[in-house]
Amino acid sequence: MTDLRITTLPAAPLHTVEIWSNPATTANRFEARTGFALPPMGHSAGGNALRLIRYEPAVWLAEGDVSALPDILADNGAITAIGGGIIRAQLSGAGWRALLMESGVFDAEDPTFGPGCSAATTIDHVPVRLFVDSENSCIAYVPRSFSESLLHFWRRAAGILPAAS
Amino acid sequence: MMQIHCPHCGARAQAEFTYERTVDSVVTLDVAPEAAMKTLFTRNNPRGVDEEIWRHTYGCRAWMVITRHRVTNEISAVRAVGPEGAVTVEHMLADKSEPRAAPSVSLRDPPPRSGEDFIITFTFDGTAYQAREGDTLAAALLRNGIGLTGRSFKYHRPRGIMTAGVEEPNALVTVGEGGRSEPNTRATDVFVYQGLVAKSQNRWPSLSFDVGAVLGLAAPLFSAGFYYKTFFGSAKRWMFYEYFIRKAAGLGNAPTEADPDRFSQRAAFCDVLVVGAGPAGLSTALEAAEVGKRVILVEQDSIPGASLIRDPQGLDAAWIEATVARIAYLGGRVLLRTTASGYWEHDLVTLTERLTEPGQVPPSGVAQRLWHVRAGQVILATGSIERPMAFAHNDRPGVMLSQAVRSYIRRFGVVPGKRVVVATNNDDAYLTATALKAAGAEIVAILDARPKPAGADSGFAVHYNAIPLSTTGARHCLKSVIAQVDGTTKNWNADLLVVSGGFTPVVHLHMQAGGTLNWNDAAHAFVPATSRQNVITIGGAANPEAVLIAAPAGNPKKSFVDFQNDVTLADVDLAWAEGYRSVEHLKRYTTLGMATDQGKLSNMAALGRLAEKQGVAIPEAGLTTFRPPYTPVTMGLLAGAGARNGGAHVRHLALYDAHQARNPLWQPLGHWFRPRAYPVRDETLAQAALREARMVRSNIGMTDVSTLAKFEVCGPDAVTFLEIICATNVGKLAVGRGRYTFMLREDGMVFDDGTVWRLGENRYLLTSSTGGADKMAGHISYVRNMLCPQLRVSAVNVQEHYAGIALAGPQAKTVLAPLIDIEPPRHMSTVPATIAGVPARILAASYSGERAFEIYVEATQAAPVWAALEQAVTTQNGCLYGMEAMEFLRIEKGHLVVGGEIDGRMTPHDLALDKMLNKAGGYIGASGLSRPALSEPGRRQLVGLEAIAGVIAEGAMLIARDGETPQGHVSAAAFRIIEGGSIALGQLLDGFARHGEELIATSPTRGQTARVRVTHPHFYDMSGERYHD
Repeated sequence: MTDLRITTLPAAPLHTVEIWSNPATTANRFEARTGFALPPMGHSAGGNALRLIRYEPAVWLAEGDVSALPDILADNGAITAIGGGIIRAQLSGAGWRALLMESGVFDAEDPTFGPGCSAATTIDHVPVRLFVDSENSCIAYVPRSFSESLLHFWRRAAGILPAAS
Repeated sequence: MMQIHCPHCGARAQAEFTYERTVDSVVTLDVAPEAAMKTLFTRNNPRGVDEEIWRHTYGCRAWMVITRHRVTNEISAVRAVGPEGAVTVEHMLADKSEPRAAPSVSLRDPPPRSGEDFIITFTFDGTAYQAREGDTLAAALLRNGIGLTGRSFKYHRPRGIMTAGVEEPNALVTVGEGGRSEPNTRATDVFVYQGLVAKSQNRWPSLSFDVGAVLGLAAPLFSAGFYYKTFFGSAKRWMFYEYFIRKAAGLGNAPTEADPDRFSQRAAFCDVLVVGAGPAGLSTALEAAEVGKRVILVEQDSIPGASLIRDPQGLDAAWIEATVARIAYLGGRVLLRTTASGYWEHDLVTLTERLTEPGQVPPSGVAQRLWHVRAGQVILATGSIERPMAFAHNDRPGVMLSQAVRSYIRRFGVVPGKRVVVATNNDDAYLTATALKAAGAEIVAILDARPKPAGADSGFAVHYNAIPLSTTGARHCLKSVIAQVDGTTKNWNADLLVVSGGFTPVVHLHMQAGGTLNWNDAAHAFVPATSRQNVITIGGAANPEAVLIAAPAGNPKKSFVDFQNDVTLADVDLAWAEGYRSVEHLKRYTTLGMATDQGKLSNMAALGRLAEKQGVAIPEAGLTTFRPPYTPVTMGLLAGAGARNGGAHVRHLALYDAHQARNPLWQPLGHWFRPRAYPVRDETLAQAALREARMVRSNIGMTDVSTLAKFEVCGPDAVTFLEIICATNVGKLAVGRGRYTFMLREDGMVFDDGTVWRLGENRYLLTSSTGGADKMAGHISYVRNMLCPQLRVSAVNVQEHYAGIALAGPQAKTVLAPLIDIEPPRHMSTVPATIAGVPARILAASYSGERAFEIYVEATQAAPVWAALEQAVTTQNGCLYGMEAMEFLRIEKGHLVVGGEIDGRMTPHDLALDKMLNKAGGYIGASGLSRPALSEPGRRQLVGLEAIAGVIAEGAMLIARDGETPQGHVSAAAFRIIEGGSIALGQLLDGFARHGEELIATSPTRGQTARVRVTHPHFYDMSGERYHD
C-alpha cells in the first residue's frame, strides 16, 4: 500500500439531520429549498456549502451550513450538532480500498462503491463512517476518542510507520 | 460469522450487528404487568426457526426482525422495523448512481523461484546444512541424508519424514529462535530460507540418543486409557504425576519470549473462491474469471500446481504460469502459501496466509495474515491425502507415502532411497516406482495387495496378494522389509518402503460448511455429498481412486494407526474390549485423531478397525466431527493487530494533552483511559487522591467528566419519550432546570442513573454513566425504534461531541462567575454561557457533595476552556483531581455508581430511590417493579458502613460471626476525607432496618477483616446544604 496518504482534515461543523414524520413532504420541501434531493441510503448529495450523506434510514450526516434546515424540517425532524465527536480522516491514493479491508468487514473493494457512495461499518472494532469523495480518495468519519489509535493502526497497516512502532 | 441482509444496507457481516432478543419477548408499553412478566420470562426457545430482533448497530443503526434457523443459521427473511421515516423514506428516493467498472486488483508478489541451484544454509540441531531455494525443510533434510527427524509423543520412538504435505504426523520440529520460534512445525510445510534454525523435539540429550526412548520398553503399561486407569485419586497426587508426565511426553515447547512480529487480518469478498490450485482448481478459477466473476484462488503451497508438480499430466509449468497470470490479469486474486483453515456460516472462509516462513524475520513486520473471505460460491479443489498402511514398525524413518516420494523426486530432485520396496493397494504407486527407477533407485519388490490381474506386466518384480508385515531399521533409513506374500513370509533388504494405502478426500471444509458425506465403496472413502451452503467439491477430492483394502497382518502392538499420538491397532482393540463403542469415545479414550495433524492420516484406518470390531461397514461405524482449523493456526493470528492491547483500541479524552502535561496516573475505564490522580513530588496514589479530595471539600477542584454518556433528545414528543426511558418525572421540569434520574430494566431493576436537563421547549440533555454508555445508547435506540416508533423525537448520542469539565468545591461558584460574566446557575439549573470565547453549557450538578458545575463545550474547542478554568482554579489555590478522589468524594456523599451499588440486582426500593419514581408510571420497568416481592422488606438494601476496628475492604462479605452465611457485601470503600476513618457502602439483607448493628466485614482474598457498624449511606451533608449558596 505504498500509494496511500492519510490526512487528518480540519474540524468541520457536522450535524445529524433526522426526519421522524412526513418524510415525503419534508423531502420535497428540502429539494425545493436546497436545489438537490435528499440522497438515498448509502449515497450523498449536495456540494461544498452543504453536503448530506445518508448512513441511516432516517438520519443524514450534514456537513456545512445547516442554518436553513430547521425551517425545512419544521416539526417533522431535527438537527443535532455532533462535529465535536468526530475526526475526519482522508485516505487518498490507489491503496485506500485495500486499507479499509484491513481488519474491516465491509466490501470497500466492491466496484460499485464509488464516488458519492457512503457506508457505515466497523474497522478493527471501531465504528467508522465512510464517504467516497473521488475515485482516489475516501473520507472516514472516526469517533474522536478512537481516532488517534485507529489512525495509528491505519498508518502501520499501510506501511507508513516503521514495523516496530 | 453470519452475513445478514440489512434491509437498508444490503448484505453485511454479523460483526456490524447486535442481537437484541426474540420477537416473542418484546414487552410493549401498553401490556398489563402480569402479561409483561410472562412475556419477559417465559419464552420459546425452538431448536429451529425463530424470529429475532437485531440492530445494525455499527452500520445504519436500524432495527430489523430476522427469521433465522437457530441450528443452521439459515436466514429466511429480514424485515425493517422502526419509525415511519426509517421504513418509508427509502422507497421514494431512487438510486440514480451509475454502475462502475471494477477496480484493478493487484496480484500478490510473483511466486518465489523454485528448483534453481541457489544454495541456502540452514541448521538442524546445531549442525549447518545446505539446501536449494524452494526446498521444504523435509526435502532439505532428505537431501542431506537425514531421515531421523524427531521422537514420538509417548514412546519416544524414532520418527522420520512420511509425507510431503501438511498432513505430516512425524517430522515435527521447532523453527526459529526466541519469541519467533514456532514449535511443532511440520518439516514438510516450511520452506528453507537463509539462516533457518530448526531443532528436533521431545528428546534428551540428543535426537540420536534419547533417554526417553526407554519408555518404549514400558509400552505395555502405556496403553489406551493409561491416564484414566492410573492417575485417579486426589488432586494433589495428580499434581505430582503431572510434573513427570509433562517432562516425559509432549511435543515442542512454546516460546517464553513475546512474539516480536505482527499479524494482520483482512476482509475480502468474491463471487467465487477456489481452494486449491491444482489442475481442477486452476481451470475452474480461470473459467470464472473469464466470465467476469470476482475470483480468489488460494493454494497452501508456495507455488501453484499441486498434483501437477508431481504428475504433470501434459500440463507443464508454462501452462500453470500462464493460467495464474491470466486469472490475475482478469482481476482475480491469487494467494499462495495460504491455507483455507475454516469454513463458517454463510460462506465465510478464513484463510491463513504466511507472509514469511516460520521463524523468519518479516520485512514488513507482518508475519501472517488472516483473511475473512465472504464468497458467493466456494469451490473446493482440495485433492486427497494418501493413506499409510498398518503393519509392525510402520513408523520407522524410511517408511514413506508413495505420492510424497514422487514429489521429492520430481519437485525437489531428492531420491529418498536406493533400494526400495513399494507396498500398495492401488495403481497410483506404480507411478512412484517408475519415478524411482528413472531417478536411479532400485525397485526390489512391489507388494500389491490385490490379486494378479490378467495380463499385468509393469516391468517390475510385483508380488500380488502381498502386504507388509514388519520392518527393521537403521538410524536414518530402513534395513529390511518383511512381507506376507500369498500366505508366505518374505524378506528384502531395502532402505525405503514406499506405501500407498489408498486416498482420503480432503472433506474438512465441506464438513465445516455443514455438508454431508457419501461412502464410496470402490475408493473405500467418504466423499462430499450435499451442503446447505454454496460449496461444491471438484477434482480428486470428489473422485478418489479405487483401492482394495486388505486386513493388516503385522503385530498389532507395533502397528501404528495414529503416528502423532502413538496409537496402535492394539490400542483400538483394547478400547473396544473395554467397552468403548462410539467413534467419539474411541477418539477420547485413545487420543486418536488429536494433536496437530487432527488425524489426517489415522482416522480412516481407525474407523476401519472399529467397523471390523463392530461387524459393520465403515459408514455405520460413524465419523468424528471436522472442526476448524484445518491446520494449526498461531494464536497471534487470531488476535490480529490487537494482540498486544487485548484487541481493543484505547479511547483518548479530547483533553488528553492537557492531562498528560500534568503527568497523571492513568486508569483504564472500559476502553477509556482517565486520570486516576495527579501526584506531586513523591506522593503515592492514596496520598495524592486524599489531598485532591480534601481540596474539593475545603476549596476547589477540577476534573474531566467528558466520558459521561450524553444524549440530546429533541422533538415535540421528547418529554413523552424521556418519561418512558427514565423512571422519574420529567414532564414538570422547567426550561433551564435539571433533575437526578435513574433507569430501570424491564424486570424493574435499576440499570443506570444520571441527570436530565431541559435545555429548551422541546430539547433535553440526558446524561448517564460512563461505563453504561454503550448499553444506554442501545437501550434508547431500542425504545425509540421498537417500542414507540410513532413518537416525533430524535435521540442523538452526543457523548463525544461535548467535552465535560467539572468544578467542585465551596469556591466553585466564586471561580466560575468571573469567567462567564453571568450569575452561575443555582443547583440543578443550567445556562448557556461563554468561556474563553467558546460557547459552553453550564450545568449546576454535583457528584462530589459540594457546590459544583459541569461545563460542556464542543470537544474541538475544549482546550482553551480547560486552560482558562485551570488558570482560575490554580489562582484560587485549588487543584486538579482524578478518579480516585472522585471515588472518595462520592462514597462519602453516598452517591451510587453503576457496577458497584447498581449491580443489576437492586430495585429503586433497595436503593432508597422509590420516592422519586414517577407515580404516573408508564416508564420501562414499571410492570416488573409492580411484582410485590421486589418491594418487600428483607431484601438486600443499600447501607453505609463505618469501621469500629480495622479497615473495610472493598468486596468484603458482611457476616455476623465467623463461619456464618454472608448477609451482604461491601460495594465500595473509602476514608472520611477530612476526619479520617474507614467507611463504605454495601448491600445488606434488610439493611434499612439494621442501622446501628455491628457486623464483621471480611475479605479472605485480601486477608482483611474489620468490625463495622451499619449506618445511613450518606456520611456527608445529608441535608444537601452545601449545594446551596
